[in-house]
Amino acid sequence: MAYKDPDEMVFGHAKFPVSEHWDIQFGAGYVVPEVKVAPRPGTEKDLETLKKECVSIAEQACERAVGIGIPFFMLEQEHVFQQTYNPKWAGEITAAQAAVLEKYHEEYGIKVALRQTVADIRVEEKKPGLRGSDYDNRIAETVEACAANGASDIAMETMGGKAVLDYGCMRGDIKAILFGIGVLGSIDMEYVWTRNVKICKKYDCRPAGDTNCSGANTLMFVAGLLLDKNLPHTLAALGRAIAAARTLVAYECGATGPGKDCGYENPIVKAITGRPMAAEGKDAVCAHQDLMGNLVAAVCDVWSNESVFHDQEMGGWTPAVWLGATANECNLMNVAIQAGQHKILRDLYVLADKYRDPQALILAYDNAWRIGRAIVEYGKDIYLRARAAALEAGRIIKEAVEAKKLVLTRFERDALEHAMKVLESLPTESHRFIEECVREYKRKVPTFDPKSYEL
Amino acid sequence: MAYVQLEPKIDWSRVAIRYNVVVEGPAIKPEEDPDVKKVLPTEEPFLSVAMGVLYGDMEKTSEAVKKALQEVDPLAVIEKGLVKGMDGVSILYAKGLYYLPDVMLSADAMMEGIRLCEEKLGKPTKKKAKVVSFVAEGDPHDIGKNMVVMFLRASGYEVIDLGRDVPTETVIKAVEEHRPIFLTGTALMTTTMTQFPKIVEELKKRGISVPAFGCGGGAVNREFVESYDMSVYGVKAHHAPKLADALLAGKTWKDLRYEYIKVVGEWVDAYADRAR
Repeated sequence: MAYKDPDEMVFGHAKFPVSEHWDIQFGAGYVVPEVKVAPRPGTEKDLETLKKECVSIAEQACERAVGIGIPFFMLEQEHVFQQTYNPKWAGEITAAQAAVLEKYHEEYGIKVALRQTVADIRVEEKKPGLRGSDYDNRIAETVEACAANGASDIAMETMGGKAVLDYGCMRGDIKAILFGIGVLGSIDMEYVWTRNVKICKKYDCRPAGDTNCSGANTLMFVAGLLLDKNLPHTLAALGRAIAAARTLVAYECGATGPGKDCGYENPIVKAITGRPMAAEGKDAVCAHQDLMGNLVAAVCDVWSNESVFHDQEMGGWTPAVWLGATANECNLMNVAIQAGQHKILRDLYVLADKYRDPQALILAYDNAWRIGRAIVEYGKDIYLRARAAALEAGRIIKEAVEAKKLVLTRFERDALEHAMKVLESLPTESHRFIEECVREYKRKVPTFDPKSYEL
Repeated sequence: MAYVQLEPKIDWSRVAIRYNVVVEGPAIKPEEDPDVKKVLPTEEPFLSVAMGVLYGDMEKTSEAVKKALQEVDPLAVIEKGLVKGMDGVSILYAKGLYYLPDVMLSADAMMEGIRLCEEKLGKPTKKKAKVVSFVAEGDPHDIGKNMVVMFLRASGYEVIDLGRDVPTETVIKAVEEHRPIFLTGTALMTTTMTQFPKIVEELKKRGISVPAFGCGGGAVNREFVESYDMSVYGVKAHHAPKLADALLAGKTWKDLRYEYIKVVGEWVDAYADRAR
């Protein structure tokens, strides 16, 4: 554990800060606002149109940044399919966006960062699967093209284990969720991130990190809001804890942070690694509504809007508007740091959401730390540590329910009880669990290909 | 933690109310719901079959179906047992008493039951109609499509599932070959959903039409979907069979756009302006 005491964890500070070009640091005593905007539909039709769109996004963000006096910010470009599929496009667009950021950096001295998030376009059921396919090779080439053309860092949202996870998500099957995210997701992460780190090291580009968007966020979105009827929120919370054990793999492979914004599991990962982390919450309502919009800001180092259409709002175009929103929040956090009141603000963020939902509860920094500690007890055993994370998250929820601080529906309570029983009854040897799951889910999930995980 | 000392000072009713707990009714057994009672069979062997489905228990459903097949016709087992159990599940899902995993497990149980019945029959049973489903080219996110497929199959439709990352030509060929009552496409990304109007353009070019092309998924919205013909914005996966049923009853894609809330029988934010 990077932190011996959870109280040490606070926004804007990481045990191991990260520096990137254009003079920016992460986790070095300030929180960096981030903006991310999705290119308009149709702009993917050719390289020139998409490049123009991405340059325009960068220019608008830079212009608003200097217009409202932002000292630093991160621009993230999440790739559309065509961008990752065509490494040449990725390289040229990265270079064009980097040129915009560099111009503002030189002219105003503003600290900037350009994150390129390479899309995971692999399709498990298409031969030869996740490893060595044309899609996979193009991903590697695109990572290199971005790193070589001015990206400050590379992030990804890898999809390993998704076929089994989706099966588990739709059936409330905690064993499938554990196997999909905790085992298959972790195996795939090691494959992808060993390669990403190797590529990034050749350039002035940080291998930042990954998020279990394809797994834990799928659970969160399917679970939905309080009145939705698709998945118990208690199960989504257990899935989130499992995801921390999986997202950790990127850092074990040499990723440096800052972690990716939609990785809601990041507070747990930060507790273990001490690496800076991005987060999103109340200023990401343009993309989706969560039930922890304040709480997730408590220990972040980058504060993001997640994503928004490139469009006009009353306050201007979205790159400007949403950078304004994230920057306003960061201003508050950074003033709190300067005034020595940051722990008070952190605690208020936590209290605003802690008992709104079990998914929020387990990410309160003291609970995140507990889950982190449960994970590290099992070292590098990807199965046992993921299982331990889920069990600890379950215990945290039950304690809060018993203390009458968190109220759950019968459905949420029953689902938690059932999941805990299943988790407790699972094998305590990894190989047994994995063999059992390969047999079971190969039969139940036609798109699951064990060979993609060398199983 | 310092904040733990602050907790007792907070009146949580001014911070967060879990309305799902507030509105939760008393616990009842699924078969005791008055509306479910109305659809469940009262006689054996159908009751055991329907109960297996209602509880999402594949093993019990299989056993009950095998036993039933020794004494009654496979079509009767499907219609009077399996389908009735699934009708009960739909009622409970609509009331918020069942959740998606319950529906999925029940659908799995029902499909297994149908498989056993078809095995006995020696041929597939007649389906309501054909539907073609796919995920847009370049898009690997298929959980939404998988839910749509499951809901449609559980409602008696034959679904041609083209999978994910599907090129336009493959979709067109499937439409030409199967002439579906309904085509469904899902996309998570703004830049992959642009395939939908291209498909419509290509269908028109070849002089083909579908009664409706349901489009939905992460970044998809009504405004975009209604910018091209034949389309209807699909909001939730479980709406798919209701839309298909409406098409079978003669509704058009234009009708579905304006009668969406009525057709699916529940409040849908995306169509709030057309609620009345």
